[in-house]
Amino acid sequence: MFPELNTTLANVYFAGLAISALCCAVGVLASRHPLNAAVLLIGAMLALSGIYALLDAPFMAVVQVLVYAGAVMMLVIFVIMVLNRAREDKLPRFDAWSVATAAAPLALTALLALTMAKLPLAPAAGAVRGEPEPIAARMFAMSGEVGGWWLLFVAVGVTLLVAVVGAVLLAKRNLDTPAEEPVKEEAGHGH
Amino acid sequence: MATETILMTPAAVQVLAAMLFGIGLTTAVIRRNIFVVLMGVELMLNAVNLSFIGFSRTLAGDASLLGQLAPLFTIAIAAAEACVGLAMVILLVRGKDTIDADAFSAMKE
Repeated sequence: MFPELNTTLANVYFAGLAISALCCAVGVLASRHPLNAAVLLIGAMLALSGIYALLDAPFMAVVQVLVYAGAVMMLVIFVIMVLNRAREDKLPRFDAWSVATAAAPLALTALLALTMAKLPLAPAAGAVRGEPEPIAARMFAMSGEVGGWWLLFVAVGVTLLVAVVGAVLLAKRNLDTPAEEPVKEEAGHGH
Repeated sequence: MATETILMTPAAVQVLAAMLFGIGLTTAVIRRNIFVVLMGVELMLNAVNLSFIGFSRTLAGDASLLGQLAPLFTIAIAAAEACVGLAMVILLVRGKDTIDADAFSAMKE
């Protein structure tokens, strides 16, 4: 698949990264405390970023580390630590019904994996290596018959802004309301 | 060296993505802790990105770049989703004082 890569080395890297990603994902499924799950999920994301780099997508590998393992999971861990309560550790991880339900998604996975394994896929010789320069040139293309994604890019930026403002509005205890009623409500919770 | 089998075939990448998606879906469906449910959703999004990038390696020219552009937008939207999702978790925990997903069943009654 990669003429420029040493085959043995590529095999070792891919097998190691794939196995560690799967082990971390199973660890997320089985972990007792959400903080353990978050750290294992970061491990899975880092392994995936290594696989992106092996798949000739170095820019996506960097974005994966920066945005997912860096920003999103930092936010998740921050909120877990803000809301951490010791007694929630005694919450059962699953109940009997949901363990029985797990058969459905696992069967779906098996079907999907079997179908994918049978696809006649082959690496293309003319695939472009995903470095920042060609990706940026494609996203903001101005010339020729193909257009870029300016509008979608701006729309995604506006979506992020709206999401942040919405999150602040949702999570802030009292933005405009007088302080009396919410304080009475929250008094028993011991925040 | 040339006769050695290559492990990272496009099909192997797709199977790995499918397995990660399945583990994420199982996590989102059967876990009771709402933080872990959110993390299952994040895992599913990551698996879809891996599938995109794996397929982009099988296409030539412009199409292979497009396969790497789509996950960029997915990642941005996933960041917005995590942001709003965590704010909703804070709101839910403040209302019921628990992170057990079974406690939030008001729509059932």
